[in-house]
Amino acid sequence: MTLDIAGTLLTASVTAFFVGAAGSFVDRRVGYLASTAGSVGLLVVAVTVLVGGPVTGATWSGPLGDAEGLSVDALSAFFLLVASIVWTATSVYSLAYDDRPSPLLAVTYSLALGSIALLMSASDQILFLIGWEAMTLASYGMILQARGRSERVYSAAFVFLAFGEASTLFVFLAVAGLWAGTGTFAFGPHLGPGTLATLVFVSGLIGFGLKMGIAPFHMSEWLPIAHSSAPSNASAVLSATLTLAGAYGLFRTVSLLSSPPLWWGAVMLGIGAISALLGALFASVSEHTKGLPAYSTIENNGLILVALGVALLAESDGLTALAVFAVFAALYQALAHAVAKTGLFLSAGYVEHTVHTFDLNSVEGSVKAGSPGEYAGTLAAVLSLAAGPPFAGFVSEWMILESLFQSYRFAQSWVQFVGLLSGAAVALAAGLILVAMVKFAGFSVLWKPHSSPPIRRAPGLGAVVAAVGAIALAVGVLAPWVLGFLAPSASALLGTRVSAPVGSLLSVPSGWSILSGSPFGILSPPMIPLALLAGAAVGAGYCLLGRPRPRRRATLWMAGNPPGQPGQTYTSFGFSTGIRIMMSSVLGTREVRESQGPVAVAGVHAVEPYSVDLEVFDSFKLFYAALVRMGDGISASLKAWVMPGRLGRYLAYVLVVVLTVVIYVAAAY
Amino acid sequence: MIESSELPARRPGTGGTHPELALAYAADDGSFAVYNDYSAGRAVFRPRSETPPPPEVAATWRRTRDGGQVRPVAPADPVEGYGLFTFPYGPISMGVPESGRFDVRTYGERILALVPVAGYKSRRILASVCGQTVPDAALRIERLAGNFSAAHATAFLSAAESAAGASVPRGELWVRALAQELQRVYNHVHVIARVAEAASQNVGTAQTQALAEEMLRVQGSVFGHRWLFGALLPAGPRRRLDAGDRRDLSNVLRRHAATFDRLWELFLGSRTFVDRIQSTGTVTPSLAKEWGAVGPTLRACGVPWDDRLRVPTSPYTDLFLDLPQESGGDALARLLVRAHEVRASFLLIEQLLDRWTTTPEALEAPAPPVAPSRALGRVESPSGDLVYDVTLSGDRVASIGMRSASQANFPLFARGLRDGVFTDFHFAWESFGLVFSEVDG
Repeated sequence: MTLDIAGTLLTASVTAFFVGAAGSFVDRRVGYLASTAGSVGLLVVAVTVLVGGPVTGATWSGPLGDAEGLSVDALSAFFLLVASIVWTATSVYSLAYDDRPSPLLAVTYSLALGSIALLMSASDQILFLIGWEAMTLASYGMILQARGRSERVYSAAFVFLAFGEASTLFVFLAVAGLWAGTGTFAFGPHLGPGTLATLVFVSGLIGFGLKMGIAPFHMSEWLPIAHSSAPSNASAVLSATLTLAGAYGLFRTVSLLSSPPLWWGAVMLGIGAISALLGALFASVSEHTKGLPAYSTIENNGLILVALGVALLAESDGLTALAVFAVFAALYQALAHAVAKTGLFLSAGYVEHTVHTFDLNSVEGSVKAGSPGEYAGTLAAVLSLAAGPPFAGFVSEWMILESLFQSYRFAQSWVQFVGLLSGAAVALAAGLILVAMVKFAGFSVLWKPHSSPPIRRAPGLGAVVAAVGAIALAVGVLAPWVLGFLAPSASALLGTRVSAPVGSLLSVPSGWSILSGSPFGILSPPMIPLALLAGAAVGAGYCLLGRPRPRRRATLWMAGNPPGQPGQTYTSFGFSTGIRIMMSSVLGTREVRESQGPVAVAGVHAVEPYSVDLEVFDSFKLFYAALVRMGDGISASLKAWVMPGRLGRYLAYVLVVVLTVVIYVAAAY
Repeated sequence: MIESSELPARRPGTGGTHPELALAYAADDGSFAVYNDYSAGRAVFRPRSETPPPPEVAATWRRTRDGGQVRPVAPADPVEGYGLFTFPYGPISMGVPESGRFDVRTYGERILALVPVAGYKSRRILASVCGQTVPDAALRIERLAGNFSAAHATAFLSAAESAAGASVPRGELWVRALAQELQRVYNHVHVIARVAEAASQNVGTAQTQALAEEMLRVQGSVFGHRWLFGALLPAGPRRRLDAGDRRDLSNVLRRHAATFDRLWELFLGSRTFVDRIQSTGTVTPSLAKEWGAVGPTLRACGVPWDDRLRVPTSPYTDLFLDLPQESGGDALARLLVRAHEVRASFLLIEQLLDRWTTTPEALEAPAPPVAPSRALGRVESPSGDLVYDVTLSGDRVASIGMRSASQANFPLFARGLRDGVFTDFHFAWESFGLVFSEVDG
């Protein structure tokens, strides 16, 4: 009986988004409230599935005779769980955030959420594809709602659509391959190894990778968000859950393919490591309050891919323990990233809302001046993304690095080598993302303002960010139990029943520690805050019980100068210029100097005033520019050849078609 | 909150300083100027109106003489751009041993423009000596910059003697030359030690610093004061250098010269050291001439100018001086020049001790004054050309002007470091051998 209630709730929740989208035309709050309700409903469904087992909602017979409908198994439950946490936060946030006169943002927002919910709870591939395509279109509409120069918004939205449709094409290919191999659109039967499986894997990796924004498709992730300065609730949904949909697709594809060859995992691992490194590198030199988190998403999705790659490699090599650990690492990474990234985007939205800027150089600590919830929540999100203990990101980063440390277990030396290089790249990415996160926190949260600017307070926004930060903390501290909760999802992915890599060592209570391998590494997330608290208690006791010391107050100074003079402190740009110069071979850093009018003072000694700009360049842009040029060329020559504008030629086409049909029909009978 | 101008700022100097100094030296009461005629290789006097100094140079020089004011001592480069900010380095920061500030215009890491700001170290010494007798004034003047005390004392005394028209005993001139050369060796070794320290050449730094300390001890044993304070006054405390003393001194210095040669050989063999100073803080010859660079900075740009040769005075007229010259214009070239000069100075001291004057009481006529009771004293200090312009009234100083090597070279340091990175700073700074106290007075 319980399951029936859950099934009804699933159907109702998915429907709620679409009803909300329609209701938004009346009042945009209807849309956001319906989205909140739907998200909470999905959260309940996901928890029910993870605890009790699969839930099936409405089912119907599809046009091809297959059974279609909504059903959630343990794997999709995990992704629905993550997505619904994010959506609950963003929907509540949107109630206070969206103050536009037009309801279109609320409409497209609800539609995007609904279509992602649809694809994640689809029981078969057709519904999945419908949800996938609807998600792309709704997100396209959402990006178009951006404020800013319209040509930039249009071009960013177009880039998103172009990459989105390319992604859909490859996903179609993967689905077609699965159908050809198994004869059904239902998620269930496995496809054995062979050319068809390889086709499915490669198209799946490209198609879903496009949505995850992994290299070399990272343009699809950062460009629409940063270039258009998309609305912050939209940015959070795009960055945290649209890429999560890509991850879900990839996980689902992998779960449907049995006995993967070794090179699949190696390719996945390599691409993931490169994406992580590129994402972290570009995040650390980004000055855009949304561009920086968007690049960080590329890094995080790269890490998910790395963990999944290790899992595939370990599975091929028969290293079951490592495979299980890596799968848990991948799931945890997806969870940690989605939660923390939501916090960061919502914080950027708060900045946009209060000081009206996207430039980190001019944010000047406005978050600090805002509500304490905003302050604490942003810090928690940043710390989690920078893999700081005891936050969620720390646990997942530790798990991924631990699994890479074990690449020596692989049988082939070239696989070991790939693991080694990827490990180095991931470690470097972890270091670089620290720069990015310190920059974001330093210039938005920790900055000491010269003067207190008039700040529009928005406590509603702050409370949501604080809640997201609290979730990031809880997911980190309670990691062993969360891992146990996610065990059904990992089992669904691996196809066998597994339990979480949790145990005990030393005097840590049983079940409080995460074990990687037996025994390899050990981490007890709950012990970290306990140790911190114990240290703080000792310090507090010392301060309270010890003799009070005289206090001296002194004026702050800066090496003999009065402190905090405007224009005399590090800019956010200056903070990361070191990386721009050090990594100039990758970033293509170049300095552009432009003369600014005539020489100020006459004579040989005077220097003409000039402006200087240090630019970085993503060399992958060259690849896409070449692709566009090639496409233009082919289409132009095709046009000249096929569509010359002559009536005679067109009549000939018609004639040829008619003749072909006649011959075909005649031959058939 | 403290305003920056409030910090150590005092009233500007009122010590009757001359209103204008340019290039080598130009006393701007409309009367005359001294220029370095680089092509002819000698100093020339010219009426001011004939070749006035470029206005920016004159303006910068005026600023460098404004004792007591916190003010920039090099022109600012107008540069703007995304993410640019001004990073104030100093006046109380690690790395710069004196109180002085550098306003670095940067987008992080790269130095797009640099403006040295002086005035934090002003003691108004020049203003305070007006009205004092020449020996009393000399006691203060030599404390203006301890590292260059011999040069300052010599330049001031010779200017005062010329102004008074007083002949000087030959022995005094020889003692001044000995003191100057000893101090030159100390200074160059000290500069090399500080560059080595910036390059983290720890063993080399320690050994070079030990050698510098040895040179201070030699100065102390000969002149009774490690920094030569009071030693160059006619009644100053100093040992009579009899033949035995001279032999001992010669032996000690020969040992130090050998130590230096060995150390310098090791430094040049260290790629990390040479790489770090090569093409750091480069000054082009044209820039050096336009801005009137002096000393090793000028000679490192391929201009063979040295006051000891071009403005000859006794006893340098009787001695052989091996004048070094480099063409790189960078920190390495400046250090090569300095190392060469250490050897040349050891050679000069050897000559001095060998041919120690047999007639110390014989009088030498002073250089002619430029005006009644007013004369210039020009000396090659370790960092370059140092000019004193002294007007006497009776036996007391009526007014005094000074143009130090640091004043001349500060704008070149600022220019040379442009487009460098933060880590270049110390190599460039130390290689120029600049001293804020010489600018602040």
